Amino acid sequence: MTIFEGRGLTVKYGAVVALEDVDIALEPGVVHGVIGPNGAGKSTFIDALSGRKRPSSGRVLLNGGEITRRSVRWRRGNGISRSFQRTSVFGSMTVGEQLEMVARKNDEPDLDGILGTLGLDEIRDRVCSEIAYGTQRSVDLAIALIGGPRVVLLDEPCAGLVADESVRMLQHVRDLCKERDVAALLVEHDVDGVFRTCDVITVLDLGKVLATGDPAQVRADEKVIRAYLGSAA
Amino acid sequence: MNAAQVLNGVALGSLLMVLSSGLAMIYGLRGVANFAHGALYMSGAYIAYTVSDRFNFWLAILLVPLALAVIGVVLELVFFRPLQHRSHIELGLITFGLALMAERIVVLIWGERTLRVTPPEILQGTTTLLGVEYPTYRLSIIVIALALAAALVLWLRGSRVGLHIRAASQDIETAGIMGVNVDRVSLIVVSLGCALAGLAGTLAAPYIALDPGMGNAFLITVLIVVVVGGIGSIGGAMVAGMGLGVIQTVSTVWSPSFAVVVPYLALTIVLLWRPTGLAGKRVS
Amino acid sequence: MTTTAPLDDITESMLEGPAPGRRPRGTLIGLGVGVVVLFAGLAVPYVITDTYRMSLLLDATILSLMALGIGFLARHLGQISLGHGAFFGVAAYGVGVATTNWGWSPTAAVGFAVLAGTAISLVMGVLVVRASGFGFLMLTLALSQALYSLSVQTSARPLTGAHDGKLLSYDREMTFLGLTQADVMNPGLFWPFAWIALTACAMVLWLVGRSPFGTTLEGIRENEERMRFSGYDTFLPRLTAFVLSGAVASLGGALFAINAGYVSPEILGFTTAGDSLIAALIGGFGMLAGPVLGTFLFVYAQANFNFGGNLHLFTGIALIVVLVFMPGGITGAFQKLWRRVRRSRR
Repeated sequence: MTIFEGRGLTVKYGAVVALEDVDIALEPGVVHGVIGPNGAGKSTFIDALSGRKRPSSGRVLLNGGEITRRSVRWRRGNGISRSFQRTSVFGSMTVGEQLEMVARKNDEPDLDGILGTLGLDEIRDRVCSEIAYGTQRSVDLAIALIGGPRVVLLDEPCAGLVADESVRMLQHVRDLCKERDVAALLVEHDVDGVFRTCDVITVLDLGKVLATGDPAQVRADEKVIRAYLGSAA
Repeated sequence: MNAAQVLNGVALGSLLMVLSSGLAMIYGLRGVANFAHGALYMSGAYIAYTVSDRFNFWLAILLVPLALAVIGVVLELVFFRPLQHRSHIELGLITFGLALMAERIVVLIWGERTLRVTPPEILQGTTTLLGVEYPTYRLSIIVIALALAAALVLWLRGSRVGLHIRAASQDIETAGIMGVNVDRVSLIVVSLGCALAGLAGTLAAPYIALDPGMGNAFLITVLIVVVVGGIGSIGGAMVAGMGLGVIQTVSTVWSPSFAVVVPYLALTIVLLWRPTGLAGKRVS
Repeated sequence: MTTTAPLDDITESMLEGPAPGRRPRGTLIGLGVGVVVLFAGLAVPYVITDTYRMSLLLDATILSLMALGIGFLARHLGQISLGHGAFFGVAAYGVGVATTNWGWSPTAAVGFAVLAGTAISLVMGVLVVRASGFGFLMLTLALSQALYSLSVQTSARPLTGAHDGKLLSYDREMTFLGLTQADVMNPGLFWPFAWIALTACAMVLWLVGRSPFGTTLEGIRENEERMRFSGYDTFLPRLTAFVLSGAVASLGGALFAINAGYVSPEILGFTTAGDSLIAALIGGFGMLAGPVLGTFLFVYAQANFNFGGNLHLFTGIALIVVLVFMPGGITGAFQKLWRRVRRSRR
């Protein structure tokens, strides 16, 4: 059932070990959250999984096949996409233009559907740099979802969003994931949101995995409470 | 090929070294590819001609760098500082416009004829070196340039200002956050860079004849030297300058057609193989 | 919102252009305008009977092709090139060599020249297109200067005439698309060819810009990383744009050589490329018409303000003024004004 895996991923920036021996397994239709304090290595983790940063050791596998050294382009072409924490869109284009552009490269049978679910159909003709930040985050997400990727890596989709926008964003993510049977990785700061939205949760701290399990298990885990949730739970 | 030709290469390399260290400093700090550097060099040479003509050459060596430093101050205060948030390409293009203006102004003041500066008495004639009779003046260029290079490197490594300059050249934002007065450092760097260009022009004047095209001739070579040596690396620029001067002069003996493309070849190879340049941070 | 355009590339302020969004209706209107302009332009020799003025217009039209190429690259790739003189110049010399050395007809020579110039742009493109900002500028500059240096070598004399340049000579019976050797030097007679070439290239580039390929280029310019993460190759589209702009410049060079009957090495060099770049910039990169306008102004200025050789003093000043106060150039300033007028009307 596991479609996408990271095994023993280690990433070093010079002498600094940002990620150490991290494992993860994603299944279709399952929303897998990743939480952890600042500096835990969450962004590095997504970079390693998405191909932006080559891990110092460890492997990334798609359907059991090794893809660690594959380029970002290859990954996208084979159904692995990601969204960005710092919104990465095409400001001078209209929303419609850029989504159509991405759709041209990744056959998307139902662009209107994605636009509809994310509430973007009304602003199709608006220039991206002129719309609200929260909506731009939705465009960022939309770009990652076009073309029916089987694996979607989401890097803090709620970054910069206010409370109710955040709730809606996570709901969209969950809905789209279940509808399209996508294996989703969700890196987030919003702990409550993650517990609400995700089926499985991995907790990272200082580059290592503290615990992995369903929300109830993770919430009760001793190590997690001590290192992370103690103040927030 | 003999020692005289090698020494010619070293002489040319010395001039390139002085010129390129100035350009590297400005580029490393302000991010501006100073397209006016050739014009600054030319202005230095022409001003040296006048000073040398009215008074003497030694006074020129003293005054010209000072005059060019003043021009550097103007450049920094009028252009680089107010426009520092514009893209580097735009600033480079502005210096390009300044170069066009400067070249014309020089011609308007000094005319189009080729001018010559006689070196001072002591430095005329030849000296015997390595079994060759070599023009003393050219030797003095080499000596002065090398001494200057050494002094510059020592100053950059040893002094507090030097440390600030190196820090700001590496990462201007962080340096500012760490307390380096970036504006003051920029002012020093830009005026020093221009002064060095002027000095190179002064030194070159008795060696190379003065004509309105002299700035352009050197500009491209110096830009290439800085890129090859490594962006932000003054030492790298110096080494590359000397190296290119020697290689180009020496290969002229063997094949003039090849010698002429040496700098372009070097640039292409370096930029494709090591976009950081041989010793510096990323060009792009 | 982040883009990954580094500080080295030109800022959006220089690319002040029409509002985004490409409607099919807009394309048809644009094409219509283009066709009207083309036919209107053909009437010019009948209106301007003064040969001197006509030759200025002709020169401006031919040089505009180089500026058009430069502008297309700036607008769609966000890169400033100082290398287009190489394509213009190689094509010009190509015509010279093909007619004078190989005895070809001028028509065949022009075809060959455009291919030669385009081939050079392909080679240069492969080397240059991955670089950005300053590296791109330096490489284009260096490669074209290298060609200049090679062309003035005495060993190149048989091909290029070295510093003396190359005088074209071909059989008196041979014609360029129906015009004799004497005719091609007549500005009024040569005009239709240059004008059609300019308007046709402008329309082609405009259509390309409005096509999905144009959108791809814009995406690459704005946020290359996201393009790659969306599955797009970024090297080939850039290379294609570069070669296309090189082809346009080459056509200009070929026409230039046929019309002038003489090629001097200066057109390969830094000064000509620089002049064309400045003209394009002053006209404004945001619209295709910008570089053309800038070139016409430049040729006019060269004819009228060059007393005492002061042209470069004025172009230097103009360049600085435009860069500091209106980085979008003249067309950019008009666009801004237009938008302000429209906004105040609402």
